[in-house]
Amino acid sequence: MTNFKHIEENLKKEAKKLLEAGSVAVVLAYTEGMDEKHPQPFAAQSVADADKIIFNEYCNHNLARYIIRYAPGTKIALAVKAADSRAVVVLIQEEKIKREDLILLGIPADGMKNSKTDEIIDAKTTGGLANPVIYDILLGEEIHTGKPVSPYTVLEQYEKMDKDARFAFWKEQFDKCIRCYACRKACPMCYCDPCFIDQSKPRWAVKSPQSHGNLMYHLTRFQHLAGRCIDCGECTRACPVDIPLYLFHKFVAKECEEMFQQAAGMKIDDKPVMVDFRVEDSDKILE
Amino acid sequence: MEFEPKILGIACNWCTYTGADLAGTTRLKYPQNLRVVRVMCSSRINPSFIFRAFQLGADGVLVGGCHPGDCHYNTGNLYARRRLAVTKKILEFSGIEPSRFRVEWISASEGNKFAEVVTEFTSHVKSLGPQTKFKIKE
Ligand code: SF4
Ligand code: SF4
Repeated sequence: MTNFKHIEENLKKEAKKLLEAGSVAVVLAYTEGMDEKHPQPFAAQSVADADKIIFNEYCNHNLARYIIRYAPGTKIALAVKAADSRAVVVLIQEEKIKREDLILLGIPADGMKNSKTDEIIDAKTTGGLANPVIYDILLGEEIHTGKPVSPYTVLEQYEKMDKDARFAFWKEQFDKCIRCYACRKACPMCYCDPCFIDQSKPRWAVKSPQSHGNLMYHLTRFQHLAGRCIDCGECTRACPVDIPLYLFHKFVAKECEEMFQQAAGMKIDDKPVMVDFRVEDSDKILE
Repeated sequence: MEFEPKILGIACNWCTYTGADLAGTTRLKYPQNLRVVRVMCSSRINPSFIFRAFQLGADGVLVGGCHPGDCHYNTGNLYARRRLAVTKKILEFSGIEPSRFRVEWISASEGNKFAEVVTEFTSHVKSLGPQTKFKIKE
């Protein structure tokens, strides 16, 4: 189990060092929220700020979400858990940020908890990695948990369903959606301005939460995240009505991995699969 | 009355649309269920077009593009192939019959293939019956 106190101390220490030396303008980390279970994302800009940094098992926000708020060229340090580091990789691949403008404070973590359910977050709802895929400074011991669990096993029961039952399942889920867009806001990959759903020319879907508009919003969002979603699960945890968005994102990620032999955000030199092609891609993928 | 499906065709200007023209000028017969929209390239097709078509009452959607390697813009259809493959998977997981959506490569000289594909696809969609899952109910 991760020693969260130890990581918190290291995080504070490194943040102070970086801010004192002026090597970064901001350190993205976490601070106290309304209670222990609800820490908040926090942008520390001074040594005094760094004292307010905390880290515990509920620090789930994917801080890569906040990178695009800063002007290009701003030096940013941020705390990254495994999935967060993959999000950073995608943002670098998509030229939203330069690697040299970032200092990544890697956090190896297992035993993170969902603040709504208090369940341990694992490969059932996320990618299930424990160690960041890139980092500059590692704030704790690397975790070796033996054989990694496939993040896609959870899909089996849904893939087995008959298509009408699956349609009914998703209809019920999407019908709950109140279109608050918390999923979009939490997602590090949802940075388009304007988002297709806010466009009025063309208007892709009604703006009020109605069945058909919800369906359009979600299916298109799944398409736009194909090969980019890094399975952090933040969209699902942010959703006030508990729509299991992660299932659909996982399904698309799995299919992309099978078709294009590449998982999202693992290597900086990869090209995201949707802006790439191989002449030898098979027509079988269209069957 | 027999069910006559509504099928949206989206055809690229350089190959499939020209192939459809050829089918016409050679007086080939094919079902009239297809309504064709012409785009400059299959990569112009926003996947949301397909979701939207089903919402607006299409029973099937047929996309036609140049054969891989023959794209007028060299690589447009290679991007489209990946993108539309994902669209198809999304349709599948959402619970609609994925075979209501088809992508075919039809060149400008394949008027015959165009007519065959449309005939075959129309009868397939007919056998599936009306598409009601995505269709917006008034
Ligand atoms: S879609 Fe959800 S799981 Fe995927 S990157 Fe965005 S927030 Fe994370
Ligand atoms: S967070 Fe949930 S309710 Fe809000 S828009 Fe996303 S899916 Fe809908």
